[in-house]
Amino acid sequence: MNGPLLLTTIWLLPFITGLAILPLNRDAHQKIKQISLLGNGLNLLLIIFLLLRFIDSAPTMPPGSHASHFLFAYRTAWFSILNIEYNIGVDAISVLMMLLTGIVIVCGILASWPLEKQSKEFFILLNVLVGGVYGVFVSLDLFTFFLFYEVAVLPMYLLIGLWGTGKKEYAAMKLTLMLVAGSAFIFAGILALYFESGLQSFDLSRLALIRFPLAFQLWAFPLIFTGFAVLGAMFPFHTWSPDGHASAPTAVSMLHAGVLMKLGGYGCLRVAIYLLPEGAQFWLPFFLVLVTINVLYGAFCAIRQTDLKYITAYSSVSHCGLVLFGFAAMTFAGLKGAVLQMVSHGLMTALFFCLIGMIYSRTHTREVDDMGGLMKVMPFLSVAFVIAGLAGLGLPGLSGFVAEVNIFVGAYANPATLNRICTVLAVLSIVVTAVYMLRAVNSLVGGPLAGRFALLTDASLLERAPVTILLACLFGMGILPGWIIKLVDNAVHPIFNNMMR
Amino acid sequence: MSLLLLPDLFLLLLGVLVLALDLLHAKKPSASGSFHLSWTGLLLIFALLLALPYDQQFVWLGSYQVSGTSLLCKQLFILSALFTVWLARPYFRSGGNKRGRLAYQGEFYGIIIFASVGMFAVVSAGDLLTLFIGMELATIPLYILAGYHKNDHRASEAAMKYIVMGSLATGFMLFGLSFLYGAAGALDFAALKQAAMAAPASPLLGLGVCFIIAAVGFKLTLFPFHMWAPDVYDGAPTPVTAFIAVSSKATAIIFFLILFHGPLAALHTSLQMPLLLLAGATMTAGNLGALRQTRLRRFMGYSAIAQAGYLTMALVGPRAAAWSSILYYLLVYAAANFAAFFLIAIVGRDREEEFSSLRGMGKQNPGLAAVLMLTMFSLGGIPPLAGFLGKFLLFAAAAQQGYYAMVVFAALNSTISLYYYLLLVKEAYINEASEARPMLTVEPLQRTCLALLTTAMILLGLWPGYSDFVVTVLR
Repeated sequence: MNGPLLLTTIWLLPFITGLAILPLNRDAHQKIKQISLLGNGLNLLLIIFLLLRFIDSAPTMPPGSHASHFLFAYRTAWFSILNIEYNIGVDAISVLMMLLTGIVIVCGILASWPLEKQSKEFFILLNVLVGGVYGVFVSLDLFTFFLFYEVAVLPMYLLIGLWGTGKKEYAAMKLTLMLVAGSAFIFAGILALYFESGLQSFDLSRLALIRFPLAFQLWAFPLIFTGFAVLGAMFPFHTWSPDGHASAPTAVSMLHAGVLMKLGGYGCLRVAIYLLPEGAQFWLPFFLVLVTINVLYGAFCAIRQTDLKYITAYSSVSHCGLVLFGFAAMTFAGLKGAVLQMVSHGLMTALFFCLIGMIYSRTHTREVDDMGGLMKVMPFLSVAFVIAGLAGLGLPGLSGFVAEVNIFVGAYANPATLNRICTVLAVLSIVVTAVYMLRAVNSLVGGPLAGRFALLTDASLLERAPVTILLACLFGMGILPGWIIKLVDNAVHPIFNNMMR
Repeated sequence: MSLLLLPDLFLLLLGVLVLALDLLHAKKPSASGSFHLSWTGLLLIFALLLALPYDQQFVWLGSYQVSGTSLLCKQLFILSALFTVWLARPYFRSGGNKRGRLAYQGEFYGIIIFASVGMFAVVSAGDLLTLFIGMELATIPLYILAGYHKNDHRASEAAMKYIVMGSLATGFMLFGLSFLYGAAGALDFAALKQAAMAAPASPLLGLGVCFIIAAVGFKLTLFPFHMWAPDVYDGAPTPVTAFIAVSSKATAIIFFLILFHGPLAALHTSLQMPLLLLAGATMTAGNLGALRQTRLRRFMGYSAIAQAGYLTMALVGPRAAAWSSILYYLLVYAAANFAAFFLIAIVGRDREEEFSSLRGMGKQNPGLAAVLMLTMFSLGGIPPLAGFLGKFLLFAAAAQQGYYAMVVFAALNSTISLYYYLLLVKEAYINEASEARPMLTVEPLQRTCLALLTTAMILLGLWPGYSDFVVTVLR
């Protein structure tokens, strides 16, 4: 299979899976789930195959190179009316993000196996969402990039509104409108890039070679960066995130916090920073202050929460803040750490939401104070929860450590005073993280077991599968980060060099 | 004579034939002859339109000119008339609509066809007089149609409001056109173009354009001339509402395109600011108005006002961008609007046409609910539906002149619109019906039409054929 065809298959397969579900009977729950699992499992295998081929054929980029090198690239005209092309290709960042998506969606489908309510619509929407996410990662044309971005955001409304819990309608509407308002900025920014470049082209790699006038970059950069950062939950645009994640059903929380929020960071890096480096140099110190608030504010908010999902959602705000923090550090290690954090946080938060979903389905409460002693009745889930918590606070040997070290070292390496101050403040967040993580973990698994929980059972074999996969990935990335770092190095060099040109 | 004139002649002939056939069986009000004649005739004319050469131009008597561009517009009008005829069919049967059965089937179709002849004249106009006559022919029949529910007080109110406001607009238009005539000394576009180039700042031209914007703005539902729209949309029978929302609005925006990118091109630069202001005010008025609606057709009225704002915004683009984006969007808009009105017709068969009537649709009629969702997403500009590319092109036309702030404003406005489009989706999928209701019945004709429209909404957004064709024709 040649490279471009492989990429096309990967983004198309979820849509085909969705179509395959369409003619099924509405009550054929098992079949619907099996087809979804089959389609997405196959896709995960394809992505692993892609990754192996990528490692095989990726040239080692000289550290001085400016142009990003996209493998398996292919382009053909699509809508001639605005020179819109179907233009695909991947670099290491996108391949890693696709791998993350593949893992999370397979685990998400496994975790939502008990779902029976209108399962047909649920899995179709889930597949559309995932197809959109893959589409963003393979797109090199800003139009298709934006198109897939919107495709990925919209199914969320129904997924939360229909299958969610709590204030689901409010949360769904808030999330959708805030994200779409963010994309309004991106939209204007993309059109501005198209016309101001003089190229009349949406081609990312050609636009990267243009040196846009400084005056243009100064207004276009914050526009695009903010637009994407809304999805990255940047302060003060993060308010959709806790409500949305807390109300969403398990698989959707996993996918949204695990992968979709990364689209924000990915867009900031791929479009805003890569195409408008001078604007980035000017504005990133300002955004650094905002994301420092993010990191600390998210962590402090998490302390005050008693609902497990809200704790995780606020910790996501804090951890996703670290992604943008890495970008805003404007050093090589910072950028690299940010990319690593995207992967690490995706795995970790997916595991968290997966576990919370399973625990909730047993205890029917997510209030930390109501639980306790769960280690006695569900040792497997409890141990997994402890490990996830430790990954969250950056314990060495788990993935979070690799990413956070790079980010903080990178941020401190920038000699500007502002950077130093912000880094010190952000590092303090680790302590706060330890407080809420350990407290939550402790009151969940430790202490006396409440009588009404005594008859609960541990995870079934089916439930153990996604947890095990995610745990393995967390450990894998923590213990053997070498190959990922090497891949990321290659991809980050051109972006970094462009930024410093 | 030329082949290019044939569609116009056939359409005129079809209108006469439909009326004549209706006279033949005037005793049998439920006869379906006029219905079948109308839709087959329209379909044949559409096929003829597709077969004609698009790279030629023909001028008849100096004042009637047919080009590829006008043929493209005519395709749109014929499609709109065709779907209106299909949409109207159940309304002439007893039990077809909760508000009661309509009478005079043949006249109804005839009037729709004659109004379309007027629209044909507008897009083929070579001088101001043809333009005016075409516009009147396209409007006066609609006054009759708006009051077609003769015994319904809301319909009478709508028709009254429409005719009073419309006549006022006609007066404005005639007044404005006479100023243009005064500036140019002749009625034909060529003379007007020369006069505009010679003295683009002439106060006569400026005054004339002001009055014309007010008059056509009434038909396009531009702020502040949009007040009539929600009342008329709600009062008129649904097929008429659909026809007004699609054909009449398309005529108005094409009227602007013809003038501002044709004879008055010299004024285009100075018109950009006023047009943008009007566009911004219109989309805001439409979007804010739609937020609090509970009746489906009033809601569609406000949504159509907002859409008019987006369309007007694209007028400021360069000629090719403005024409191509607006033509593409009109087709997309027509598909989505007709789908919405077909759904309203289905719901309105035995329920009130209100938001709450949609409840439980996701469980009872999953197919209809899916179409509703796709329609709302297309209207809201969500990919991969055609509305997304449509809006993208409209906004790109404004961006091409550097109005990025306006693009941000319009895109944020479109976010507001997404809120109320999602409200409908929410009614259909999330809110539960308070009592058990019988399932909605869908006639085979309605099912076919909805399938066609849904396919169009999806295909136009993914398949570049149509937009490429528009670009080639405009070149």
